[in-house]
Amino acid sequence: MLEFSGVTKRFHGAATRALDDVSFSVEKGRICGLLGHNGAGKSTALGILLGLVHPDAGEVRIAGISVQNQRERAVAKLGAIFESPAFYDYLSGWRNLKVLTAYSGGVDEALMRETIEWVGLSARIHDPVGKYSHGMRQRLALAQALLPRPEMLVLDEPTDGLDPEGIVEFRRQLLELREVMNITVLFSSHLLSEVEQVCDEVVILRSGKKVYEGEVSASLLGQTLYRIEAKNQEILDSVVQSFRGEKHGDRYAFPVECNPSELLAAFVKEGSGITCFAPEPPSLESLYLHAGREEKGGTA
Amino acid sequence: MNLFLRQLGWELYRLFARRRTWLGFGTFLAVETLFYWFWTRERSKAGMANFIERVAGGFDEYFSALTLGFLIVVFTMILLGVVFVSLIAGDILAKETEDGNLRLLLVRPISRLRLLVIKFLSCQIYTSVLFLFVGTTALGFGLIERGWGGGMLVWAPEIPRVSLFEWNEGLFRYFIAIFAFSLIYLPVTGTAFMLGCFRIKPAAATIITVALFLADRILSAIPLPAFDPYREYFVTPRMASWLLLLYQEIPWPRFFESAFWLVGFGLTGFLVGWIAFERRDVKS
Repeated sequence: MLEFSGVTKRFHGAATRALDDVSFSVEKGRICGLLGHNGAGKSTALGILLGLVHPDAGEVRIAGISVQNQRERAVAKLGAIFESPAFYDYLSGWRNLKVLTAYSGGVDEALMRETIEWVGLSARIHDPVGKYSHGMRQRLALAQALLPRPEMLVLDEPTDGLDPEGIVEFRRQLLELREVMNITVLFSSHLLSEVEQVCDEVVILRSGKKVYEGEVSASLLGQTLYRIEAKNQEILDSVVQSFRGEKHGDRYAFPVECNPSELLAAFVKEGSGITCFAPEPPSLESLYLHAGREEKGGTA
Repeated sequence: MNLFLRQLGWELYRLFARRRTWLGFGTFLAVETLFYWFWTRERSKAGMANFIERVAGGFDEYFSALTLGFLIVVFTMILLGVVFVSLIAGDILAKETEDGNLRLLLVRPISRLRLLVIKFLSCQIYTSVLFLFVGTTALGFGLIERGWGGGMLVWAPEIPRVSLFEWNEGLFRYFIAIFAFSLIYLPVTGTAFMLGCFRIKPAAATIITVALFLADRILSAIPLPAFDPYREYFVTPRMASWLLLLYQEIPWPRFFESAFWLVGFGLTGFLVGWIAFERRDVKS
């Protein structure tokens, strides 16, 4: 559904490339998280995907159509939500949708009403957008992205500024969209937990380079995390080393083939005075940290 | 074509739904009121009576609603025309880019050229509506003061001798000249619009346009022989060519020459803006 091929971009006057030969693809019906720290190149990647930014090299294809060569045809398949969506505050939500969808060739009013109902804005749709809360603006943003029916959604930090209830609701809607419409989603965020809960796969960018692309599972990288605390740090470190483990912040990463019972037995046997031993399920955080470490080491 | 007109219609709806747009109309009305007050003072009327009696005879006949309306329009547009037209044309892209509205439009399946054409046409329609509004309300003030009927007397520094019209002919010439005035304002729209296509603050687009046209006006009015070879390149003297439609006998070749020149100038501004905008990265 989506294919980035060797996309490179350096902005005028910038010392480094915002994107450096980035390639990845997303299959239809998948939710892909685009992760990276601030300045990693996420917004540039989305800008190129949406035809807002011109790449120096490479190409983005949506359903086989090149954004760079046939932008209108390609983006007709997309709906997009930006962080802090900017609507015309003096118009009602309904009028905003009318103005925006006119640029997509117009939308049947029944479909508009159905979409507004689905995002839960029916009661306030005729109020000026200037009076909307952040959550309501985000719902309106989702409605405009879904009109007319896109095959793919591009979300740029969509949950920023939402309250916890809003975030849960947004997540539910996203998963429902995938379920009902088999919609493909590219989800840019720096919130690891958010991405972890909705994405099937992730692409991690660091300083403009892709450092990881794949399933949301740290075990695929061959490591499992443990929270371990002991009275004798020296013995703890030596056992960790003997099992080929590594320290990551306040946790320890071991190869997945490492048996937890054997590991615990070794800590007890060596007299480390162990006080905490808790294997953690594979997390996106561990994946993110690992990808960053790999990249720094030049192996990714 | 239907889709294009629908898109243009929604763009105009959006433009005219803004309170700021109507504040502009309100400001024009306030300034017109001021000039109406000025032209209907006894001392002003006495001066006009003296002038009209001298050049045409029959103050009561020629100091009509149309004559008064014409005077109000000329002075109001000299004072506010460039500022408000460049405010709208400079704002329409630069402000939307700054606010982030433009991103929501640009991710729609519409080419940048088409979007710019829609925005540019909206500015031009706004200008024509504004000018006709000023013309109509100025005539309204004239009707309040002088009532329906009478002749029309037109005099301006650009007109070699006064023009005198019967009421019906005057009414036709009055509105056709004001409409033409709005069209040959295209250099202002084109310049402000072009600047708005670059990475620039909306206020900067407006201020630069106003400064350019003010400088053009001042320099073109300096009677230095050194300027003579360049005089044909000044824009503002050509923009007074709407007054040619108020000559007793309209010099059509002169009018069309100036009109084409001015429309070409405005469209060149649009073209330069489009090229810049097409190459531009629109980032958050």
